[in-house]
Amino acid sequence: MKAHENKTGLPLVQLGITRPEELAALFADLRGRFDADCARAHDESAWKQFRDAWLGRKSGVLTQISDNWLKPATPQLKRAVGASLNELRAHVESQIEARRLAIESGAEEAALAKERVDLSLPGVIRPIGSHHLIRQVFQEIEDIFFSIGFSVVEGPEIETPYYNFEALNIPEFHPVRDDMDTFYIELPKGAPTPLLLRTHTSPMQIRTMERQKPPLRVIVPGKVYRRDNPDATHSFMFHQVEGLAVDADITFCDFTGTVEYFVKQFFGPSVKTRFRPSYFPFTEPSVELDASCIFCGGTGTAAGGGTCSKCKGAAWIELFGAGMVDPAVYGFVNYDAKKVSGFAFGIGIDRMAMLKYGIDDIQVFFQNDVRFLKQFP
Amino acid sequence: MKVVYNWLKDFVDVTAPPEELASRLALSGTNIGGVENGPHGAVLDAEVGSNRPDCLGHYGIAREVAAIYKLPLKHVSTKPSESAAKASDFVKVDIQAPELCGRFTARVIRNVKLQPSPKWLRDRLEASGVASISNVVDISNYVMLELGHALHTFDYDKVRDQKIVVRSTRPDEKIRTLDGVERRLDPGICMISDGDGSRAVGIGGIMGGAETEISFSTKNVLIECAWFEPVAIRRATRFLKLHTEASTRFGRGADPEMAELASRRCAELILQLAGGELLAGVVDAYPGKRALKKIRVTRAEILRVMGADLPDKEIETSLGALGFAPVRIDHNRGAEGSLLAAWECTQPSWRAEVEREIDLIEEIARIYGLEKFPPRLPAARQGAARLPHHEAETRLRERLIGLGYREILTIPHVAEERDALFRPAGVSPARLSNPLSEEAGVLRSTGIVTMAAALEWNLNHGQRNARLFEIGRHYRLNGTQSSETCILTIGATGAAREKGLYDSAREFSFADLKGDLDAIGQLAAGTQPNGFQWRDGGPDWLHAAKRGKVFLGNAELGAAGQLPRRIADRLKVRQDVFFAELELDPLYEAMQTASASRRYEPLPRFPSVDRDFSLLLANRIPFSEIADSIRSLHIAEITSIEAIDLFRGKNVPPGKYSLLVRITFQSREGTLTDAQINHFAGKIISILEHRHGAQLRAS
Repeated sequence: MKAHENKTGLPLVQLGITRPEELAALFADLRGRFDADCARAHDESAWKQFRDAWLGRKSGVLTQISDNWLKPATPQLKRAVGASLNELRAHVESQIEARRLAIESGAEEAALAKERVDLSLPGVIRPIGSHHLIRQVFQEIEDIFFSIGFSVVEGPEIETPYYNFEALNIPEFHPVRDDMDTFYIELPKGAPTPLLLRTHTSPMQIRTMERQKPPLRVIVPGKVYRRDNPDATHSFMFHQVEGLAVDADITFCDFTGTVEYFVKQFFGPSVKTRFRPSYFPFTEPSVELDASCIFCGGTGTAAGGGTCSKCKGAAWIELFGAGMVDPAVYGFVNYDAKKVSGFAFGIGIDRMAMLKYGIDDIQVFFQNDVRFLKQFP
Repeated sequence: MKVVYNWLKDFVDVTAPPEELASRLALSGTNIGGVENGPHGAVLDAEVGSNRPDCLGHYGIAREVAAIYKLPLKHVSTKPSESAAKASDFVKVDIQAPELCGRFTARVIRNVKLQPSPKWLRDRLEASGVASISNVVDISNYVMLELGHALHTFDYDKVRDQKIVVRSTRPDEKIRTLDGVERRLDPGICMISDGDGSRAVGIGGIMGGAETEISFSTKNVLIECAWFEPVAIRRATRFLKLHTEASTRFGRGADPEMAELASRRCAELILQLAGGELLAGVVDAYPGKRALKKIRVTRAEILRVMGADLPDKEIETSLGALGFAPVRIDHNRGAEGSLLAAWECTQPSWRAEVEREIDLIEEIARIYGLEKFPPRLPAARQGAARLPHHEAETRLRERLIGLGYREILTIPHVAEERDALFRPAGVSPARLSNPLSEEAGVLRSTGIVTMAAALEWNLNHGQRNARLFEIGRHYRLNGTQSSETCILTIGATGAAREKGLYDSAREFSFADLKGDLDAIGQLAAGTQPNGFQWRDGGPDWLHAAKRGKVFLGNAELGAAGQLPRRIADRLKVRQDVFFAELELDPLYEAMQTASASRRYEPLPRFPSVDRDFSLLLANRIPFSEIADSIRSLHIAEITSIEAIDLFRGKNVPPGKYSLLVRITFQSREGTLTDAQINHFAGKIISILEHRHGAQLRAS
């Protein structure tokens, strides 16, 4: 700095310069010094000092040149000095600005390096709860049937034998009662009717038809109870969705079309269905609905070869029982069996959930282990 | 029932391999649980429905096979040679209870030679899973498996007075059955007795007695082949808890016509394998002979029920093959496919359950093939409705999940003693009269019982942090009536916030529970910010100092609080546990009302001002009294009154506490000035000083 101060502090005459050609070396020297200074301005404060040294309004190098060289210059030198000074000024200004940007971005980078988050670390985890899987499956099934015009109704779990059995065409000592081992409620002597825990959601078929005339389409989600000893596939409480549709013109084809639609919505379009004739006292014709095994794709062969353990090689899995409402049932609700027809089904929700999610023990649903609940958020 | 493939071939020339046959049978109504290939060929495990007793024998299954494959069924013709002596001279049958026994046939074979059965017979029994005993006993089992009709053989010489009396049980009657068990009997059970009828020699249609049993010393055999009333059989088996091959067949409804044929078949085989002399004729008491029903089926009804047509020929051949002998009876006879076509069918004796047109339609459809009826999705004719509380329940559930609670589902069967722990006074629980175990003897009278069990399960399985909820029911008994009430149960234990990178750990506290419940209460809050109200008290099984009753208006919804140490110890729970239970119907109703009445309130245009009041209060004065007094000033500009800080101890005189209350003021008319705020503050301080003796501390 001292060097140019010295030089720029003196008029050109004193520096012995009289001809324009001699200016070039002088300005080249200044420019060299500027570039060297510029390279040394590494941080913001050094840069500010450097900027003031060159561009300071009172004593900056450029001001000095203007005051000491340009203003007193002889007429033959003035134009050349002015041109050189402008050229130098343009260079100085652009380089100082460039230097500022460089320092700023450098500082930012350093700051970012210090503040950068570690994306592999977890965020703040707020506890969020979850739906029970059975509830999710209920909802899914409800939504499917709702979309094709089925309303949802609920009913009591503690029922009378009339609604659970008799009105469903299951008189006392009917063999089917042996398959539905029933819990009874202890009642004081003289109770007008025994009470039991419903063994299926079907009593709501009767209660709904008692309340409502056709056309009707309802589903009934709820808990049901059978007096089975608990094991991996049995629980003495489980869940069903009952379905019932009654109208003037409902046929077996409408029935198969409806349940097939449900199965494809629930398990996926590639799943095939078949209807096996079966027997329930409250439906006729009665069927068991089978789906092509969703584990082996209906081949009966496991992915790694060998027999599929889920369908035991049968390629089909039993889903649920259903059928056309037996005309005898209409007699209990004052419907004219000659004028109406309908269908009913009873879907085991726990079984559907076990099939869809590959659960092999029904008990996990009711243990409510948080580790299980977390698996189905 | 085990169906031996080769045995079927005695009656129908089926050529389909066993697996294919199994599949065709399943799709026509006889489900096959599996096919096993054993030393005696393929055996199909037929799961015969309770409505198809005719399929509990190979002959009946063969009839199905013949119908499916349109093959002829070979009839059972049997003409054993008989001696000159007449059976009726050697045995008398007297049915005194025709309501229990509709037919009783007896045949007598003299001088049989009891010995082991030949190999072919033993093989077929073995394939069917029946142990071989002796030729005569094996033959009666064989005929049962073949023709589906159960028989019983007596040692003729042990039957007193050559006489069988069929009667109802006598008072306090007992019998020792073949299996050596002495059995007490119920009134109305059909008993086979001998002589004057005083001695029972068998329980009709269920099991023979020990005293007249066949043994290797038996010379003369009496063959019983009868028909018993199914409902009476089922009633008896349930009383006796005795289920036998015979009771299964009679209990579902055997074929009364088959009784004589099965007896003849049995006699034929005994002559063949045990020798002897068959007395001529059969003693046949048949008070229950039925006229065969005529049943009509029309194409119009087939179309109405099934929704698709099938050719006349298919209708006629399937019904014909099953024994219904269809005959066209309409005026368009001969017009193929007529919409007016009607057939009259005759109910075969082996299909008592087929009585109605719908029963015939099912028969036609299952033999024709259910897959031939094209599925279609019917159009809905009405709008569908969700449950009335669907939206409220969904919102409640979503809020709980947002608050961090996981939904559980529990089995309501609990131990009486557990239920009693949480049961409100004066409530009678719904007890089961036939529980599986004492641990599951009553239905929960509150959801807390099963919620506690769920928390225990988690604590016992290393999960110490749990926030759970259940939307379910509790069950109670009011006299002879049951009640089911929808409830929300909440259980929480462990950390409210776990130790993490950014936060320190904090245990769940009563304040967490209250805050979460109030967040639920907000769903029922109308335009006023008042959801639930809390009042002192609550059930005894909650901590006396950390509990409260939850109200919505004047309706008590339930209670919330911490489990006291004494109960936690009984449950062997070592950490703090919190519970709440609310009745849902009033909550849902309030949510619906609130949601329907909610309206937009324009946002204020002028700024709000907070003013803090640091109060020194006597311990007995709750925050709510302070807030109520401030509200009683009816300063419209007050938009909220909040407790910001609470402090007891150092620098606070004993018996007092320091409460920092923040009041927010806002006007809809303009920006509030200092003078206005000071005016309000003055009124507030004055009422708190006068009413509650509050001292204002410098804040």
